[in-house]
Amino acid sequence: MPGSSRCAGFLVALLAIVGARSAHAQHEHTSSEFEVFLASEAFSGSGSARRNDDDSWFNADVVIGLSHEQFRVFGEYFITAKEHDLERFQLGFEFVPETTVWLGRFHQPASAWNTEHHHGRYLQTAISRPTIEDWEDQDGIIPQHITGALLESRRPFGNDGGIQFSGGVGASPSLSIDGYEPITLVDNNPGKYGLSFTARLAYLPEYTGTTSMGLLLSHDQVFVRGPAALAALQSHHATLDIHGAYIDWSDAHWRAICTLYYVDAALDGRSRNESFIAGYAQVERQFPHRMTAFGRLENSARMQLSRYIALFDDHSGDIDVALRREVAGLRWDYARRQALSAEYAHATSFSNRADEWRLQWSAAIP
Amino acid sequence: MVLALSAATPAFAEDQLLLIVSAKSSIEHLDSPQIRKLFLGLTVTHSGNRLRPLLNEADARMKEIFLQNVVSMSDDTYDRYGLRLSLQQGRAPPTAFKNVAVLMDAVASDISAVSFAWKRDVERDSRIRVLRVLWHD
Repeated sequence: MPGSSRCAGFLVALLAIVGARSAHAQHEHTSSEFEVFLASEAFSGSGSARRNDDDSWFNADVVIGLSHEQFRVFGEYFITAKEHDLERFQLGFEFVPETTVWLGRFHQPASAWNTEHHHGRYLQTAISRPTIEDWEDQDGIIPQHITGALLESRRPFGNDGGIQFSGGVGASPSLSIDGYEPITLVDNNPGKYGLSFTARLAYLPEYTGTTSMGLLLSHDQVFVRGPAALAALQSHHATLDIHGAYIDWSDAHWRAICTLYYVDAALDGRSRNESFIAGYAQVERQFPHRMTAFGRLENSARMQLSRYIALFDDHSGDIDVALRREVAGLRWDYARRQALSAEYAHATSFSNRADEWRLQWSAAIP
Repeated sequence: MVLALSAATPAFAEDQLLLIVSAKSSIEHLDSPQIRKLFLGLTVTHSGNRLRPLLNEADARMKEIFLQNVVSMSDDTYDRYGLRLSLQQGRAPPTAFKNVAVLMDAVASDISAVSFAWKRDVERDSRIRVLRVLWHD
């Protein structure tokens, strides 16, 4: 596959640059970063459970960064047993401290979960991600990868706090019967791509802390591709308006992540837009011996009435889009940068239910 | 026995952890929030120059004291914070040094470098300037 060889070549070239720069980094104002987040997962399910792409038995998330003075290059390459893709590639310029403009392919900042965890599994306490935050290739119902420009800024606010703003504009994915297909930087991009505007405004009680809360906004124009998707949606394009709010709160032993999205989908020829609500709340508690227990509730309203959501259900009898899900699990950080996790989930879809069990080993190297 | 033990630990009793820069550096002062930001991988500038944090890992106790008293994090939490920064923006954590002599050479040769060390490791090095005491016994 030409795309695959280009991807591999691209990765090798980036690694060579990072390696070469590292040798000189101590004497020049250049720094480089190379991390690999590894995970291996065992999955079992009953009822209408489905092992999706995120449940691959092996995945590696390779993160490469290079900084020289105000200039930055950053890439994230995700490899599973089934696929590999350059998920993010960004060229940045930090024109004032903590304010950077990026060009390239990035994760849209209006996703509370994905801008925190991205593709790496080790830093995510739970094994699975909330359904509303699924990536495009896992039947994700919200565009996540945008290609264009992104502005990120963090400014002091009050005595100790901060305000964080991220705003992006660029090409949104196209929509086919297989789900969303974002622009790829290393292969062909057939079809038409609409514009996406996406932003997050967050308040940080502590400027350097991990607790934050804020508003999420996104406006995506999506072009529908292929006769099957056109027939199912009866529309040549869709316009999504997403309004959300989130809080990610951490204390000594507790962490809570709560997110709520209101999604409005406008389709051609419909007098009224479709809308639905989806959200989740995850609570984590650390215990002695580096054990962490976690639980998550996901719920939605009016999703089952949406023609837009129905496009993501392939009617194969398994669960493509979970309307509700309850998740509970335990994580043990048994060694530095290594963890074992076990998770149980009960999911409910349009007419199906499923029980899912996951076991995972995850690590960060070096 | 007690006398023998107390005689064996006077150096620790007088330990001071110092914030250091190159003698050629124009940095006169860094306050605690600036030091914290710097070692958490955020951008801190002085006279338009971006400061470069160098992490002293020559002594596990010193690193623990620095992280607890200055960064307000455990070693594990600090490591996770660094991984998070790397995953989110590809930012590199501060360069770490296991050898004090190599660290002193790096600080002395870079006017934007900022690090920390025991008083006994820097007091006879004229290439190094002390900005402030970060911790003392």
